[in-house]
Amino acid sequence: MAKEMIAMILAGGQGSRLYALTQKLAKPAVPFGGKYRIIDFPLSNCVNSDIDTVGILTQYQPLVLNEYIGNGQPWDLDRLHGGVHVLPPYQQASGSDWYKGTANAIYQNISFIDRYDPQYVIILSGDQICKQDYSDFLRFHKEKNAEFSVAVMEVPWSEASRFGLMVTDDNDKISEFQEKPKNPKSNLASMGIYIFNWDILKSYLIADEADPNSQNDFGNNIIPNLLKDGRRMYAYRFSGYWKDVGTISSLWQANMEVLDPSHSGIDLFDENWKIYSRNSGQPCQSIGTYAEVSNSMITEGCRVDGDVKDSILFPGVVVEHGATVEGAVVMGGTVIKAGAQVAHCIVAENVLIKEGARVGAMPEGGLNIAEPGDVATVGSGVVIGAGAVVGPKAMVANDVKDGAEQW
Amino acid sequence: MVSSMANALGVIFANTYDNLVPDLVTERSMASIPFGGRYRLIDFVLSSMANSGIDNVSIIVRRNYHSLMDHIGAGREWDLTRKHGGLNIVPPFAERTVKMYSGRVDALDSILNFLRDQKEKYVILSDSCNAFNFDFNKLIEAHVASGADVTMVYNHAVIPEGARSDNYTIKVKDGRVTQLLSNDYRPGEQDLSLNIYIIDRENLIELVRDAAARGLIYFERDILARNLELLNVQAYRYDGYVARIADMKSYFDENMRLLDPAAMAQLFDADNPIYTKIRDDNPTRYLAGSHVKHSVVADGCVLEGTVENCVLFRGCQVRKGAVVKNSVIMQDSVIEDGAEVEYVVADKNVHITAGKKLSGADSFPVFVAKGHTV
Repeated sequence: MAKEMIAMILAGGQGSRLYALTQKLAKPAVPFGGKYRIIDFPLSNCVNSDIDTVGILTQYQPLVLNEYIGNGQPWDLDRLHGGVHVLPPYQQASGSDWYKGTANAIYQNISFIDRYDPQYVIILSGDQICKQDYSDFLRFHKEKNAEFSVAVMEVPWSEASRFGLMVTDDNDKISEFQEKPKNPKSNLASMGIYIFNWDILKSYLIADEADPNSQNDFGNNIIPNLLKDGRRMYAYRFSGYWKDVGTISSLWQANMEVLDPSHSGIDLFDENWKIYSRNSGQPCQSIGTYAEVSNSMITEGCRVDGDVKDSILFPGVVVEHGATVEGAVVMGGTVIKAGAQVAHCIVAENVLIKEGARVGAMPEGGLNIAEPGDVATVGSGVVIGAGAVVGPKAMVANDVKDGAEQW
Repeated sequence: MVSSMANALGVIFANTYDNLVPDLVTERSMASIPFGGRYRLIDFVLSSMANSGIDNVSIIVRRNYHSLMDHIGAGREWDLTRKHGGLNIVPPFAERTVKMYSGRVDALDSILNFLRDQKEKYVILSDSCNAFNFDFNKLIEAHVASGADVTMVYNHAVIPEGARSDNYTIKVKDGRVTQLLSNDYRPGEQDLSLNIYIIDRENLIELVRDAAARGLIYFERDILARNLELLNVQAYRYDGYVARIADMKSYFDENMRLLDPAAMAQLFDADNPIYTKIRDDNPTRYLAGSHVKHSVVADGCVLEGTVENCVLFRGCQVRKGAVVKNSVIMQDSVIEDGAEVEYVVADKNVHITAGKKLSGADSFPVFVAKGHTV
């Protein structure tokens, strides 16, 4: 049974710039927006776009991600034919290799894709927060009779030189690709989301693998080779919400933007474009007699009896009476004891912040989502001792003793 | 059989005591009454069975079971989508005229062939009007250890007002039930049956076949109570958390009891989760200006007004200036700007329009039926 289009999600990223948050899990498994993980976005987009066959390419710390995806049921991707498959590198008769680059990851799974005999393959990134209808993108690809299309965002000219840019003609046909150029000729930045005709992609992957000098990367090798050969390449302009949450401050920022859907452009509350996730199975949130909650998102299993302002609490977070939480992203299972102050920070899962501890600090001038400045970070499972202080720039990956300070 | 699997199958009755809560069951069964913010009553017994390794469960339904079937689906949320056993919904069997079950014996009689074909040694029978987190393995162990013919579960509780004419109490001597009384009305705490029974499957088949042949209807009154000398009926006392729904008042009170975190902790145990149908709601949003205190809130709500001492189900909205106190608001209901609501039980999809005032009393909460606009 042939599929028109299947999706391949590149989820091998270590996310090293997220430091303490990605010590034990791959970046696509990083929790986001109260009850989601980053991978929920491309997966939900696929399902909402009627794509029912998805391969997830993993290699860094795959345990959490594997368990999370399971049989794909939360995304309705448990299918008789197709569905979601986690694809780690595997041993072949000719030897085994880690995925050497993004293109090599797809190359190693050519036989997986061939099983579905698709006309088109969409390559997605597992570490972006984006709501996008891929069926619109495919319609564009077909209308242009393209062999390759890339989704692009207009970025301010002043920032264009930080991106991979597509130079196009009036008909959106790509004439040139500039990778982080000093003198940008375009402000159309690649989002790293591609649609290929499968026969074209397959032949280029095979040729690329045979080239010993190639880095086996889409941006550095495959796309330049397509251009060189004069393939029909088009840029699809996307204007919705898109964010690469590759750094602590961009991850914090994107979470804060969820609190303000009418201005930020990311709306998790859209009944017509639900983001699905695996449910934590916890009971309702309990809001106590002393709680003060304002401009925040709280989910199942939380127990709040302190002050929570401009913050996102993930499943099972406990905020005791007398504790304050402001401008913070607090991930699942974390406990904030009485009198602790947690501000302007990301606290990972299952952290214990003991009585009277201070983590992070609100910047002078208060919350500024556009220019966050310093965001403190506490890694998963860490214990912050009673009365300890974690400074506003700190990245904490190990326990902090009672009364100790870390800056 | 690997020790993690229980050697018992479950039979749940979905409609017993429907008559006690007529307002709540106009379009549903007792089993599918919403409870505790995100659950239906059947979730508790079903999850308890699943967590105890009982993976062969039949739900006997009599009427109004569409909402229950929608809720249960194929049983996936309870991990009961199994090749062998799993979940089995048993509606009344259509003969020349559709025959309604009038009692447990009738209902069990209709599944005798099914019971004969099963492999489990024991059958556990349960109603679905109690919310608890029950360890059925302990019950099975006690039953096996005592060598009883039947073991029945009871707790020490005051008979709820609504159940005065519809209950069973027992007298126990040395663990054995010596008397089984119908419709006890004594005040104070009694040894009140939770209507959970465990019995050897072969024995159940014989008892039911015999009773049905003689036109008997009720398992407790017609089989157990008459044969207490013949059958060794043991009593198993359960002292854990039980929310017994017997009328609108107890429905309201038992929801309110969950506002106490200690009660939540007793009913919801991290090692034995209560499963329910997943709705994929986003987290609940507390907008600037909201005042929420002493409440249990499900996901998917948008709260902008004042909420105190309430249980809010999934997807509720409390708009600006609205005040909701001491109320149970079921899913997707909307309290519009400036409305004031106190001591109300609002069924699903209720709309309280802007500026309206609606107030009941602690002893008599106002009920607003499903989908109504006030």
